[in-house]
Amino acid sequence: MIRYTLRRLALAVPTLAGIVVLVFLLLHLAPGSPVSAMGAESGRRVSARAAEEMRRQYGLDRPLPERFGAWIGRIARLDLGESFVDRRPVGERIREALPYTLLLNGLALLLTLGIAIPLGVAAGGRPEGPLDRVSGVALFALYSLPSFWAALLLQALFSVRLRWLPLYGVASDSAPTGLGGLLDRLEHLALPVVCLTYGSLAFFARLVRSGVAEMRQQDFVLAARARGASARRALWAHAFRNALLPLITLLGLVLPGLLSGSVIIEKIFAWPGVGRLYFDSILARDYPVVLALSLLGAVATLAVTLAADLAYALADPRVRDGTEAR
Amino acid sequence: MSAAQELSVPLARPRAGLPGSGGVALAIVVLLWLVAAISPLCARRAAEIRLEERLASPSATHPFGTDDLGRDLLARVVVATPISLAIGLTAAAVSVLVGFAVGASAGYFGGVTDLVLSRLVEVVLCFPVLFLLLALAAFLPPSPTAVILAIGLTTWPGDARYARAEVLKVKDLDYARAARAAGASAPRILIRHLLPNILPPLLVSAAFGVAWAILAEAALSFLGVGLPASTTSWGGILAAAPTYIEEAWWMALFPGLALFLTVAAYNLLAEGLRSRTVGRGRG
Repeated sequence: MIRYTLRRLALAVPTLAGIVVLVFLLLHLAPGSPVSAMGAESGRRVSARAAEEMRRQYGLDRPLPERFGAWIGRIARLDLGESFVDRRPVGERIREALPYTLLLNGLALLLTLGIAIPLGVAAGGRPEGPLDRVSGVALFALYSLPSFWAALLLQALFSVRLRWLPLYGVASDSAPTGLGGLLDRLEHLALPVVCLTYGSLAFFARLVRSGVAEMRQQDFVLAARARGASARRALWAHAFRNALLPLITLLGLVLPGLLSGSVIIEKIFAWPGVGRLYFDSILARDYPVVLALSLLGAVATLAVTLAADLAYALADPRVRDGTEAR
Repeated sequence: MSAAQELSVPLARPRAGLPGSGGVALAIVVLLWLVAAISPLCARRAAEIRLEERLASPSATHPFGTDDLGRDLLARVVVATPISLAIGLTAAAVSVLVGFAVGASAGYFGGVTDLVLSRLVEVVLCFPVLFLLLALAAFLPPSPTAVILAIGLTTWPGDARYARAEVLKVKDLDYARAARAAGASAPRILIRHLLPNILPPLLVSAAFGVAWAILAEAALSFLGVGLPASTTSWGGILAAAPTYIEEAWWMALFPGLALFLTVAAYNLLAEGLRSRTVGRGRG
């Protein structure tokens, strides 16, 4: 296990380096400069001298390798720089937005797993049964449903027509404190959480279903039944537990997916999380924020993937001994 | 983008379990291309601005209602069809081509080549797809080519992984060894001998890729960084919907419905293709 861990860690080092280089290149070779975006934003032309001044101030007149070196130096000191837009530290802006995104995605993930696992096990336990057929069609439809369209329709129905839920935002201005305030916040969370949940729900429920459907015919599940285990126990303790293993490695890929989903949903529901911060920063050519968020998103994904791989190897010795080709 | 979650995991798409649906999907796709073929007939009606009829609800004259400039929504949805289909197809092609080149080389040559190329794939996969997509789309000048490149260049790692795995399966089979023994060059073996044999699984991946690309283009245009505003697209029409969500629900409903149907049809087609190529109809 130690050897496997070391090998896996060694492979992550070049990936990390690749992430850093890619983030930097992507933004600094891009044609739209922050100076020209500022001019367009304010609706007036930036004079050539003012633009030059700004370029020097932000170090944009330096050659690319020099800027890269300076950037690496700052990253190593965990200094993410200042936002071009409001001159505040990038780290501070991200720290402000992060709790909103964690709340939204944490709830969505809990809801996803809470529904996907029982549904997938029930459907996979009786393949081609009524539940499997109905849920198969429904999940396929959800799987193809564009989240921004779903968001618009839910807004039109629940916020405009029925007036049950707020259109967007985090909380009402006139929200009472205490229990009423909590309720108000939950009402604001409802639609964005639903929009973030259904897509990953469709994905996970179908994965669990196909894993369980495959496992239930395996010898060890049949043997458990023969030993007198109940159908329920054979399904959950034997079929599902073994179907769960390959799912662990997929958890690493959930994070970038959730961040992607957050960009669109946070924009539509005016939710002040990192997804919207990223989108606004892209439009404003706020390089330091875009660089920092891309870097953090990719590094977090790398870390989660690594942890998932190690957990998988811990649970399944065949992986770390290399006896099973992966 | 349909919860981009699953879209960033192209390898692991689970089975739909919908037998016999491939034919239905093919019929819908053919129908969509027919609509695209006749769409120029609607161009004049789609461009006709009638401010006195703005935001009219669906009726006999305007089955889908009208938009904020009084343009007929049905005509606009029809006119937007070819660009969505074409971008979906070309972006998926870019993705599969780049993915095949990288993945097949990694699988075929192995060793250091594999190590380096696989790290590259892993690097790109670590980024949230939409982060890369937005950056590329926003920083390239708005045009269909930019959208195609942005989508193709962010989604190829999935295809590369797929191609690598498929090449590994066949590269040491007898026919490949025979070609090598006969002195064929590596590119020739890859393209003439291995590619035809791994084409069916690549096509499945490509069909999913088309659905994905159509969704991605719509999402980009919806966010205002996709196609230029002068090009009518489903995402572009939807972009105006939030402003009028209080008075004109039809502006949100119909363009999205067209998008949903198209994406579902391509996904279903891919599922159908897969159950044919993989054969084993288990479950």
